[in-house]
Amino acid sequence: MSAGTRAVRPVTSQGHYAGSVSRFLAYAIDVTASSAVFALALAGISYVVSVVTGRDVSWSKENIVVAILFVAWEFAYFGYSWAASGKTFGMAVLGVRVVRADGTAAGPRNAVLRTLAFPLSFLLFGLGFAGILVQREHRALHDLIAGTVVVYAWDARAARLRFLAREAEPGASRGQPAGDEPG
Amino acid sequence: MSDPFEALAQRVAERVLDLIVSALDVNALLDRVDMNALVGRADVNALLDRVDVPALLERADVNEVLDRVDVGALLDRVNVNDLVRRVDVDALVEQTDVGAVIARSSGGAASEALDAARSQAVGLDQFIDRWVQRGLRRKHPAPAGPPALRSGRTGR
Repeated sequence: MSAGTRAVRPVTSQGHYAGSVSRFLAYAIDVTASSAVFALALAGISYVVSVVTGRDVSWSKENIVVAILFVAWEFAYFGYSWAASGKTFGMAVLGVRVVRADGTAAGPRNAVLRTLAFPLSFLLFGLGFAGILVQREHRALHDLIAGTVVVYAWDARAARLRFLAREAEPGASRGQPAGDEPG
Repeated sequence: MSDPFEALAQRVAERVLDLIVSALDVNALLDRVDMNALVGRADVNALLDRVDVPALLERADVNEVLDRVDVGALLDRVNVNDLVRRVDVDALVEQTDVGAVIARSSGGAASEALDAARSQAVGLDQFIDRWVQRGLRRKHPAPAGPPALRSGRTGR
């Protein structure tokens, strides 16, 4: 053990405001995952209906019922995820989470407000998302309305230790992952 | 002087000394001594140079000394957090088998890929943020995170 002989590098951004790339990737994963689940559910319903009634059911994007169901499903997916744990599936993958502006855990009220305000950020060519880039706390329009921020939540110190451990194993010769100061 | 007189003088002197010493209150005498001034005048280093420490340690019963130590009270006075902060955990993992244990217990292809993807994303976040801050010509750095999380804690 060497005590304090080397310069200590910061290895974690845990608790820092999350940036645009992490948030966009998380959102892309969420849209893909939630759409896939919705499509699977529709396919399942079609199968059950065809088995029970003997008629084939097809769903169209233009169908208003499908559109309403999709919007309701997206609302439930994002709203419930943010209310229950502060993160959706995509956010969990990227290691970010929603918290209140002061850093305390977001409650159901914040989650519902954020979900309702989320579509507003798409208006005017997505101008509401510009805040993620230029606002000092990386807050989009829906964050400002709901009183929330998005922060890095994954334990980068543990990740770094895992990386060092892999490097320490005999025969290991992998390069250091990019981002020496992971979230 | 002849021998009988010398022997008598010796006995008288010893007797007088005995009487004086028995009459003296040594504790009262020591109370009058300014120990700090005395110690201040002593060359402790020179004194320690004369001490044969290995020989002294050989004569000491270390186990008995340790038995007298109140380890609990000693640990209460130690700032463990400060002690842990001084430990170079990276070096510890790199140089010992602890690393292999961690790798076996928590390292999987999925976690490795996830760590790498997250690290890449954070690296790009920081890269973009640097350029945006430069473009906006902000002189004062933005706060790193919400007040409650600046010490590294997460919200939930």
